Order: sequence, then structure tokens, then C-alpha cells
Amino acid sequence: MKVSKNELMASLKKAFEAMGFQPGDYYDAADMVVWSQTHGFDSFGRLMEALAYLNTTAPIHADLVQEDRHNYVLDGRGSSVLLCGSEAVDLIRSQVMQGSSAALELINCYNRTFIIQRLVKAAQCNFAFVACWRQLDCCVKVSIAAGAELPEYQTFTMIDLFEPQSLRIFCGTDLEAIEKQYAPQLEFGTLVESFSRTEMMDCYKNSVEHGIEIDEALWQTLDDLGARILVESTESSRAGAGD
Amino acid sequence: MRKYTHKTHNSDDLTVLQMRPASQVMQLERLGSFHQSRLSFMRTLVRRMVAENWQISSPVFDLDEQGYGTVVYQVEAKYGTFSYVLFSHYLDPDNRNDRVIADQWDLTMALCEGTVDTEQLDFLRNNVPKQEAGRVDSRVLVLSRANRSARTFEYVVDQLAHGHQPDVDVIAEVGYLYRTTAAYGSGKLGMADWEKVWTKHRDFARPFAAEMFTCYMLRHFSMQQADHLASQRAPKSAVALHEDIKRYIGIGNSTGLGMAPFLINHPLLINQWIEMRETALATVVAASASGVDEAMLRRLDAATQRVIQHLSEIITADERQSNANLLVREELQLLHLWLQEQGAVLATNHYVWESLTQYAEQHWCIETQEVINTLLIELYPELVDGLEEYMWVDESHQVCPEMPVAELLEVIEDKYDWALAIDFSKQESIGTFWYRSAEKMEPRLGQTDIDMGMDKEMPLGIGRCVRECYDRVCDYNQARAKQNVAHFIVQNPTYSGIVGRIQTMAQSRYGDIRENLVHTDVLPIHLLRCKLSFFGVSKFDPRSRLWVRNTMFQGAPLISDFGTLLVDDWQFPIKPVLTSG
Repeated sequence: MKVSKNELMASLKKAFEAMGFQPGDYYDAADMVVWSQTHGFDSFGRLMEALAYLNTTAPIHADLVQEDRHNYVLDGRGSSVLLCGSEAVDLIRSQVMQGSSAALELINCYNRTFIIQRLVKAAQCNFAFVACWRQLDCCVKVSIAAGAELPEYQTFTMIDLFEPQSLRIFCGTDLEAIEKQYAPQLEFGTLVESFSRTEMMDCYKNSVEHGIEIDEALWQTLDDLGARILVESTESSRAGAGD
Repeated sequence: MRKYTHKTHNSDDLTVLQMRPASQVMQLERLGSFHQSRLSFMRTLVRRMVAENWQISSPVFDLDEQGYGTVVYQVEAKYGTFSYVLFSHYLDPDNRNDRVIADQWDLTMALCEGTVDTEQLDFLRNNVPKQEAGRVDSRVLVLSRANRSARTFEYVVDQLAHGHQPDVDVIAEVGYLYRTTAAYGSGKLGMADWEKVWTKHRDFARPFAAEMFTCYMLRHFSMQQADHLASQRAPKSAVALHEDIKRYIGIGNSTGLGMAPFLINHPLLINQWIEMRETALATVVAASASGVDEAMLRRLDAATQRVIQHLSEIITADERQSNANLLVREELQLLHLWLQEQGAVLATNHYVWESLTQYAEQHWCIETQEVINTLLIELYPELVDGLEEYMWVDESHQVCPEMPVAELLEVIEDKYDWALAIDFSKQESIGTFWYRSAEKMEPRLGQTDIDMGMDKEMPLGIGRCVRECYDRVCDYNQARAKQNVAHFIVQNPTYSGIVGRIQTMAQSRYGDIRENLVHTDVLPIHLLRCKLSFFGVSKFDPRSRLWVRNTMFQGAPLISDFGTLLVDDWQFPIKPVLTSG
């Protein structure tokens, strides 16, 4: 079946709210999922995994476990980027405002592809980012220039030992400067594949024109989760609607 | 995105407009006293349709002798072709219900892009009558439904069938033949997203333009159906509805709490609408800097008398609204006398409108003040109408994580002083909560500690959220004075939403609605009326503090008026005096 972007946003927000997310979190999480799906990152598979986990536990946010002038380490405590991605990006960009660049490592977290939307949004405020993480036997690298509307997405073979559930983010105001400054930490093997901005934009335009294809079972799952925030209707409650 | 900057329309004139402060404008009672203006969405839509001479035909008009069947209108607008598809069904009067929880209606409609072929028509026939229980696709822009007025529809058809025009007084009591109970757009139920409408369909690239058009077409159909039924019943004696009566017939509307959360959840959009309206007002006040001509004073006087008559023709059982209408009429009568007695002198006064608005603020009720503001805006279409292009805004929140927490406290104290002034330790300050009912997710109000559902409360009590956030930031600031918002959020992640809202709205001129929406005595009807005024409705008839009846497009031009030289003055409709024909 097909759903609209707005409809998907509303459904996701309700589902996340039902799982205990607070207003800021459920808006951000829904934004991340919708952006990823509409730009061709097949986020629904990741969402199913995330829901399976998030539905079993109260929301867990990241802890700041290490901090110096230009570096942070956040411990995601096994949670999803849907919950701690915004904190990570906000933290690193707040540091860049006070200096030239910063690095952040978010350890012990899942669903890292969702971070792309947060990077894209922050890039509109003139921050540049490079993010990388291990995905199976490859390394994903996402980079976006300050002010750019879409990132560059590439996967490489690994030559470094990446922690399996770690996400590294480097931030500054100039993409080239970041790549240069953090070059030793951005060394990868050979390029495996890339997903071009043109492809992302084509996916997005198609979803706006024709809607977003979603598996009916997932849609039903979101619907069922969202139902938890609804209150049973009674004769008395109808009075609260003007009856 | 186009961004409006405040300056007068004469580019050589750098006069800074004197905008009313948020502390005055954003009070809920004042927002609930707004009337439609030239910037209201129905007004701008009608201006556009008339000026661009939209062509509307009906390639399918398949109604039986009882008025049931299918109609497809083809709309040739300036930039595109659209189809308005309508299904007319038999409805047992016992099942006629205007509430959102209804599941059957007299009419169901869809506005679609392009033309509609047989296959799509079948698809629509299988889904549109089901409304929320059906699914449509991204070719559909708006889905809507309507119920007949039991008081007027049959009466009008009967009169026409007998060769008579209906009594205008009977029409005036109700104002419409059909009531719409919902007009869904913006991607609901599989429809096209607003982004698609905005980027692809310039004809409807303004907020709620497609939804308003759907209601306008319903009005057109309601009169066409009445004519059709009369001629079916009495082919030899039936007459067509008089054009002047047609113009006086609008569309009824019932609006309940479903509309209220929109105003809280779209603060940037509401801010934009209000800012444009206030810009219009400030612009016309500035335009009277060197006086106004007597013809303009006469126009204001005529408009004032028209409002007095309009208000006298409203029938409402709501005591508060009835008293308000009476008071406004009395105060407008004073304005009328003032204009009559001092017109010649006033014309030479500098800033005469400023004097008038200040006098009104000091001596007359809020509702009268807002009627006068609306009338002043009407006087200067050449200065005001261009603002209609700026009624939309990017609604993404702009957080500032690098902001020191001490600065965040200052922002809250400056922009949310109204929230900090509320004593939330009092029971009445938290006596109400909002929740979504399992019945079609309808928003409802509950009484704190009495009704079920507090654990599922909707976060609409912005004032209370700000207060809680402020207290937490104060504590944090004492312990870690030099930290920034990003660090505060890492330590206090549950506040990320309200901090983002505070930082975003602090950058806007009018910001949030300044009311405690969880107070025991909150009047949600003010929220509804504020939004409805921007839609452009008239004749507010509150049925309780939770829902209001009103009339859409009453007095508006007809399709047959498109392409003519329109005098856009159909606000505050009054009973017509029939001309021949």
C-alpha cells in the first residue's frame, strides 16, 4: 500500500509516543525515518528492527562519558539513533560554535543510518559533517557540506578496526577542512558502492508525487502501537467533545 | 520560501510599521474575536477564481429524480485542470450526524488533479463514500463530506417546484442548504501531501486553498441540486433559484475540538498568519498619516452599517455570543454617529485610523475593536492584498544547542513571561487535560483526576511545559552556570521538545498563544474561531464552549460571476433585496 509523507509522519509520531518517547524525541525520530525512506535508504527494515527493541524497554538516552575540548564520547547504552542521534549532533555542533571543529563517538548504539537526516538538517545551519560507521563488513561514510541539501553516501572496504556499534561524527564549518584534519581517522579501503545525490533526489520526488510504498503489516504495526495513546470512548468522554 | 519584510509598500518610504505587541494580540480572547479579512483563505481564493476566470463544467451530471447519483465537475484553473467528484447518497435522517464520529453522509466529495477516467471514478466510488474508512491515492487533493440542512433544503426545493422563490428570512435563519463536517487534505488517507500541492499545483499553492475550493464547489452543487430536484418534481411550474438568493446561500460548517490542536502544533504557521494580518492593519493605519479622503470615510461608514445589520441577522442561542453581538452593534452605532458628525474634520486628521483604533481599545469591547480592524483593512486592497502570498512558512524548528543556559533563561523570562505568571500549583490551573479518543482519534477534554486518560494526555499545555522547563533550567544553571543547551539536553533529554519550541518561537514576532490551555475554565472555542476567521467564515454560532457552527462563502460571488469585474466586498453578508430576474 501507499501512504503520504504527512500520514507516515503522523503515524510514526504516535507510535513513538506510545513507546514513551517525549515530544522532542518523537518528532525527531519520525523525521529521521521519513527522510531515510523517502530518499531511498529503505528505512522500513531498520524501523522494524528498532520497533522490536524499543517496544520492549523504556526509552534510553545516551550518557556523556567523556569530554574534552574537541572530543566527546557518548554511550548509547544499546539504544537506537532514533533516540540519541539528535543529542549527538546538537552536542557536536555546539562545540563547533566555540572552536573550529570537533569529533564525537557514539558508542553502543543501533540504527545508525538514521543519523543522516540529523546531519542534513544541521547542515542547513552551516555546519559540515563527516560520519562513518561499520555496516557488516564494510564501512559507511556520509559527508555533507555546510548548507548542502543532500549528502554524499559511500561504502568502503574496511582497513581499520571499527567497533561494530559505534558511530563517529566529525563536524566543522568547512567539509574539506574536516576531511583534512581528520584524515587519519577517515582512511578506508576501496570504494564498494555509492548512492548519488541524484538518486536520492529522484527517490524523494517519486515519493512526493506518488506516495510512499509501505508493507501493510508494518503500517498495521504502527497503527496498533499508536492505538495505545488513545483513550477509550465513553458516554462521559463524549461530553468532553461537545456532545 | 518567500519571506516578507516589514516596510511600507512604497519602496522609497522606510517608515517602520507600528505593529501591535504580542502581549496584546496573542491573548486567546482577542484571537477568539477575530473576523475574516481580505487575507482570509476564502477571500483570496474567490479573488483568484474570479480574476483568472476559472472555467467549471460538469461532464458528468448523473442525478436521479431524487437527487442521488454522481457528478463530476471539470475545473480549468489558470495553471491546471482538476476534477471535483461528488457522490450523492440516500441518508436515513436518523443517521444524519455532523460529528466527526459519523460514518454516513448525504454527500461525499473528492478534489482530484487532472481529469478522471472511468477506472478512477470506480475507484473513487468505492472509497470516497467511506471517508476515513476508505483509502485514496496521491491524485486526490481533498476529501470531504456534507449533510443537508433539514430546515432549508426541502423548503427551498418545494418553493422552487411551486414556482416561488424561497423567503429570504427563512434562508437567513440558516444560511445554507448543506453543512460540511470535514474537509481533509495534506496527505490524510493517502492523499497528496501539501508539499505536492504546493510545488505542483500553483492554483492551490496557498494554505487550505484546495480545502476551501472543495467547500465552494459544494455550495455550487447544493444550489444546482435544488434547481434539479425542483424541475424534476414540477417540470412545468418550477423556477430556478434567484441569483441574488444564490449569492446569499453559503455552506454550513460545524467545527469542534478537532481543529484546536492544530493551532498549538503549528505555532510558526499561526504566527505567520497573524503577523500578516497585523502587518495589514499596521499598513493601513500608517496610510492615514496625512489624513484620508471623505469618500473613504463614507465607505467605512457604509461598511459599519452593514456589519450592524449583519450582526442583527445572526440567530444564536448562545447567550455570550448573543450579548457580544448586541454590544458590538451598539458600539458600532457610536462609530457610525462619530463618522456622520465629524466626517469632514476627520478627513484632515493625521493618523485618523490610529486615533480610531486607540479610542476603540480604550472604550469598546475586544470584539468591536477587531471588527473595526477588519473594516480598516478592507479599505485598502491595494496595500493589503499582496500579503496573501506570504501566508505560508517553513515550519521546521530551529534549535540553538550552543546557547548558554543562562541565555535560555533570559529568553523564557522575556518571551514566556505570560507562562511564568501562571500559578500552576493551583488546582484550577491544571484542571483540564486534552486527550485523543479511540473514537476516530477525536481530541477531547477531560477533567483532571476525574476522567480517564490523564496518562495519555496530549502535550498542548505549552505554558505548563515552559514553566516546568524553566524550573529545571534554573536548577541546572545554578549547578553548571557556564554550560550550554546541548549539555542541558544530554542531562535532561525529556525537555528537548519544549526547549526547541521556546528557541524557535522566540525568533518569531508573535510566538505562542498566551493562554493556559489546561485551565479548568479554558475556552477552546476561541481557538476554533481564530482559525475559522483565517479560513474566512462568518456568522459564528457557538453551540457550547467546545464547538461552533458558522457559515462559509455566504455572500460570495457565483461561478457565473467569474471573469466579471468583481467588487470584493462580500464579507459580513446581509439579506438581499431581490432585483428582477
